[in-house]
Amino acid sequence: MSWAQGILLARSLSRGWRGICGTILMRAPFSQVPSQAPRGLHCSTATHNSDSSLVPSPPEPLRGPTKALSPHEELFRQSPDVARDKATFVRAVQNFGQHNVHKRGHVDFIYLALRKMREYGVEQDLAVYNLLLDIFPKEVFRPRNIFQRIFIHYPRQQECGVAVLEQMENHGVMPNKETEFLLIQIFGRKSHPMLKFVRMRLWFSRFKNVNPFPVPRDLPQDPVDLARLGLRHIEPDLSARVTVYQMPPSKDSTGTADPTEQYIVGIQSPDQQAALARHNPARPIFVEGPFSLWLHNKCVYYHILRAELVPPEEREVGEIPEEWNLYYPMQLDLDYGRSGWDDYEFDINEVEEGPVFAICMAGAHDQATLAKWIQGLQETNPALAKIPVVFRLAASTGELQASSGLEEPFPPPLNGQEEEEDDPQRHQQGQS
Amino acid sequence: MALVHKWMNGTYSLRKCLKLSDASRPFLSTRFADYCSSGLQKPVATPGKASAQGNTEGGLQGDHQREVALDITSPEDKPEASFDKAIKDEIKDHLRRLKDDIVNHWIGPEGRPLHEVLMEQAKVVWQFRGKEDLDKWTVTSDKTIGGRSEVFLKMGKNNQSALLYGTLSSAAPQDGESDRSGYCAMMSRVQRGPFDIKRPYDWSQFNTLYLRVRGDGRPWMVNIKEDVDMIQRKNQMYSYFMFTRGGPYWQEVKIPFSKFFFSNQGRIRDAQHQLLLDKISSIGFTLADKVDGPFFLEIDFIGVFNDPAHTEEFAYENSPVLNPKLFK
Repeated sequence: MSWAQGILLARSLSRGWRGICGTILMRAPFSQVPSQAPRGLHCSTATHNSDSSLVPSPPEPLRGPTKALSPHEELFRQSPDVARDKATFVRAVQNFGQHNVHKRGHVDFIYLALRKMREYGVEQDLAVYNLLLDIFPKEVFRPRNIFQRIFIHYPRQQECGVAVLEQMENHGVMPNKETEFLLIQIFGRKSHPMLKFVRMRLWFSRFKNVNPFPVPRDLPQDPVDLARLGLRHIEPDLSARVTVYQMPPSKDSTGTADPTEQYIVGIQSPDQQAALARHNPARPIFVEGPFSLWLHNKCVYYHILRAELVPPEEREVGEIPEEWNLYYPMQLDLDYGRSGWDDYEFDINEVEEGPVFAICMAGAHDQATLAKWIQGLQETNPALAKIPVVFRLAASTGELQASSGLEEPFPPPLNGQEEEEDDPQRHQQGQS
Repeated sequence: MALVHKWMNGTYSLRKCLKLSDASRPFLSTRFADYCSSGLQKPVATPGKASAQGNTEGGLQGDHQREVALDITSPEDKPEASFDKAIKDEIKDHLRRLKDDIVNHWIGPEGRPLHEVLMEQAKVVWQFRGKEDLDKWTVTSDKTIGGRSEVFLKMGKNNQSALLYGTLSSAAPQDGESDRSGYCAMMSRVQRGPFDIKRPYDWSQFNTLYLRVRGDGRPWMVNIKEDVDMIQRKNQMYSYFMFTRGGPYWQEVKIPFSKFFFSNQGRIRDAQHQLLLDKISSIGFTLADKVDGPFFLEIDFIGVFNDPAHTEEFAYENSPVLNPKLFK
């Protein structure tokens, strides 16, 4: 150790001495030899070019965060006019197989392809994942004896295989028989990717249909269809009817159409219609919104037409006429022999809110659009003409929806910020 | 240490509230003051996640101090910073709670007659009817690991429900090792008795979790943690999904406890076993559905009840491929 240090010390000393001599003795303004300050042992040997030297220095290796191109990146680089879709992705993967007969660097390529999948929109395609697994050479990484089986055989390749499966898991892609066959062929039955596969198969099938409110995987692109789907999703009453009050201006009729014309789609069930007809016209009803609804990764906004909660003294108890059912009367004051063991009610007053009369989704969240919705509703609900309607619209970002919180840490209070009403007398009613 | 922290927290909120209420006094009456106190909890709960988590004080104590703070009206009264007095109050309070505990024990479990507890088929565990109910909860997001999600918890309309809202962002933190991110969570604090002894819940006579919620269509995950003393088991939890329908109607979610699966450090374990209900420490809700954007979840109350029609003990059988040792 000491001799190595000695040699290094001597070298650096001599170099430093030479540099000093060069600058002092020669005093040349244009020194050919790049001068060097004396350095300690641990300095790198990279030369420090002094400012005075005119000799163009070789470009220093950039240490900054330059984006180093990963190998095989050129396979995915293409002219910008080519669409990035499944066909081009598959072609890139096949090109790798053709250019690289020995499959050199296939692990790097698979990692790269996994990163690129989202760009090409194929991250939910099972066939593409199988294609990626197909890049691995077959039978090479299978353990052949007990020792290879005990210790991880070809760990980097196995990790890569697990990464492919992990990305499938994150995007909810269920592996199939072909995946299993490929994994057995590549890594063998007792391997980490195979273990991952078994786990995925087990748990994916358990949780596949666990959602009680399923949404189709491919959402419609048309906003009207999307609104229809969203409204059907919200409304639990299956007899509710979806009405399109206004269609968006079609694309071909240019210029003449008013740009404020937006689509309005509403939903109302017969029960809600009846409740609206029974509503006391002295009490105003409110248009509230917009509230957000998520369908997979799309957010749509809806507005509701609702009344305040009816005070208990005004609630009319619906008498069930006894002749509805002669044999089994609807009301019984008997206790059915229930004891204290049969109390399945929670000891709490549930949050009660006013009844909802209709829901709509519109292209714009302003009052003009929603007033058109109310006009459309009046055709089927003549009682609505007598009831004052108050618009309680939040800012365009949505009421319940959180503000981004960057500029204002406190979100606005929940009650609407703009209460607009053309009739002042009605407005007073609304506030009372 | 905990005492000091608590005391400082108390004075901080006191001062802030005094300032706010002083400013608001000319304009509005007590209702506005109520709102200011609701906004006051947010800076305590959200930006300082670490302090909110580390601060494991019981909900009762915090409420007590805050109410005291609200009662003081004249802004000229400076809160005297007496260390001895704070400690004395603290000790007195704990002794009072100890006494209550002993008296309650004399009456029956949890201070109720035994027959009432035995015959109970449905029980409300958490409800949200006031600000003091929010103190039993903490919220976290991936800001603790450098992400950009935000989550807030406050009382909803008419102080009748809790509103959990925020923004989910799956931008990975730039720390060089994490490659994904994006979660928001709400967790209940551990219930604590006198002298901060842990008080886990005993739900062994119930078999279903009941939630009355209203969401925006996003899937949530309900996590239940057992009370464990081993540090190796602190990341273990039992989870199941809670799907929200979205829309203006309240939704009743019933999840049988037999459906909860076992996971450790966020990974489902191969060897599954049933959730044992006699020592439940906390419940939590996690949102991590990889969709960036705002979200909200309103919770009315959370309860447990006994569903006599549900007889399943555990929903997941173990696989002989994954853990053959269990089948030998």
